[in-house]
Amino acid sequence: MTVPLSTTDSMPTVGTIRASGPSFRDGRGLDRVLVWLTLGFLVAFSALPLVYNVVMSFQSVDLFTIASFDRPFVGLDNYKAVLSQRATGTIVRNTAVFVGLSVALQLTIGFGLALYFQQRFPGSTWLRGLFLAGWIMPGLVVGGVWSWILAGDFGVMNWALQATGITSDKIFWLSDPSIALYSVIIANVWVGVPFNMILLSVGLAAIPDDVYEAAEMDGAGRIWRFLTITLPLMRAQLGAVISLGIIFTLQQFDLFAALTQGGPSNGSNVMQYWSWELSFQHYRIGQGAAVSVLMILVVICVAAIYVRSTRHEHAA
Amino acid sequence: MLRDERLTQFALLFVALAMVATYMFPVYWMYVTALKTGTEITAWPPSFWPANPDFAAVEVWQRMRMGTYLKNSAIIAVGVTAIVVVLGTGCGYALARVRSRWMDVALFSILMMQVLPSSLMITPIFVSFSQIGLLDYPRTSVILAQAAKVLPFYVVLTRATFAQVPRELEESALVEGNSRIGAFFSINVPLARNGILVAALLIFLQSLGEYVYSRSLIQSRALQPATVGLQSFMGPNTSDWQGVMTYAAIYVTPIILFFVFLQRQIVSGLTSGALK
Repeated sequence: MTVPLSTTDSMPTVGTIRASGPSFRDGRGLDRVLVWLTLGFLVAFSALPLVYNVVMSFQSVDLFTIASFDRPFVGLDNYKAVLSQRATGTIVRNTAVFVGLSVALQLTIGFGLALYFQQRFPGSTWLRGLFLAGWIMPGLVVGGVWSWILAGDFGVMNWALQATGITSDKIFWLSDPSIALYSVIIANVWVGVPFNMILLSVGLAAIPDDVYEAAEMDGAGRIWRFLTITLPLMRAQLGAVISLGIIFTLQQFDLFAALTQGGPSNGSNVMQYWSWELSFQHYRIGQGAAVSVLMILVVICVAAIYVRSTRHEHAA
Repeated sequence: MLRDERLTQFALLFVALAMVATYMFPVYWMYVTALKTGTEITAWPPSFWPANPDFAAVEVWQRMRMGTYLKNSAIIAVGVTAIVVVLGTGCGYALARVRSRWMDVALFSILMMQVLPSSLMITPIFVSFSQIGLLDYPRTSVILAQAAKVLPFYVVLTRATFAQVPRELEESALVEGNSRIGAFFSINVPLARNGILVAALLIFLQSLGEYVYSRSLIQSRALQPATVGLQSFMGPNTSDWQGVMTYAAIYVTPIILFFVFLQRQIVSGLTSGALK
């Protein structure tokens, strides 16, 4: 398993220079320093806050105790307070719907587009790349543009739906509590489709043409080829894209801030927005930390499954 | 036979163009709205091409104080990119070159830190930064927090690039008496240049659009970046859509241009790094 940078048997000349043990000149020391530069920074600004977050979730933290290093510990009070609120059920359900629907739609549309652009025609690669423009735009700007498109009174979406006869009344996308969440999902799918499509395209390109040709000679139709060749061969890729989709969707914050601010009456609130809201708008920082800890656990579990599964692929 | 082939190609291209156009509609709508004047914004049915195109860039720029906001965005993005490139490039290289259990652990930890959502990390970051007095330097606070957020992504991307540099070149440089550091700067970095530049550009663009940390850590209006500024003009009862869309257009046009010119490199950089 261990592959050192260069072994003495393959490079005898270098080996003699390196025999003096780990040092800057022979390199082992260098590699370690390089990795620790990054790790040190991440420990200071990610890992330590992460630990501190857990500590705060067991403390009473508000505007009066924020500066103190000696806050009263309150056991599980923050968690109990957070979980017993009336809004909690709604917010948990919203988070599940937001993640589930976003990932399913991004994946379906992204896969469809990837399959389409896999066909050879002039400009196919370049046109496919254009989709990433949606991914690279700042989330706040995307949210701003969508809140104008979805505006209740003069939004172009309502005009399109009415003009095509799909609805007769204007839909209040952002102010109707039962619809607001779906507005954010629409915008989030728009942001996520390009990334799904590009990653799935890589997987599709890796399937050798002759597999398809052989199946075609055996008389397999398009749909049959998709079900028996494409899908099974794309399993690893699909798994990766789904896990990354869940991770990215749980990171989505900007669209909520720009479109609905979690409202109306928590109708579109999700855990990652709620955590921020508790800390920065209600100043119940201990509770914000508790929500944050719970969600970070979820994210880390998904990520660990993903990383483990890709590591497996590489080892195999 | 050949004619048929060409016909299919054109049909495919036509449908593809239609799909790109549909997807790009929000971007188009942003520009069209920015060009509309007065009552045309609220015209019903909406017009899809401005009757009297007027890009009120100068007026919006001054009224919404975009100069200050964009300057702050640029300061934050440059600061983040500088930290990330200085710290992360070597790490990406070392992780690409050395395979051992410890390196695997390091890589795993870095990957795990990549997935932590900013909106969940901001609570402990805010409290700890305020306790150690960092919040007196709000933009620096944002730069440090955002650098920690994007550093793992940069490491993953550059690691994939360095993995493509042939080992033999580095080894022959070592034989010729170069030190490891010397070989790193004279062989690996130049050969991985494109990948490093694309990764740095992605970090820069991402940080140009950073919102959560800036919103939470920067109180003073004069120090806030363009995202927070845009949010402040978009209250629940916004009617100044022309102003907001003009602001948005000025803000993202450079980003979109950057992207269109470097599209191919960005796509290949992303695809090589993201799945490994």
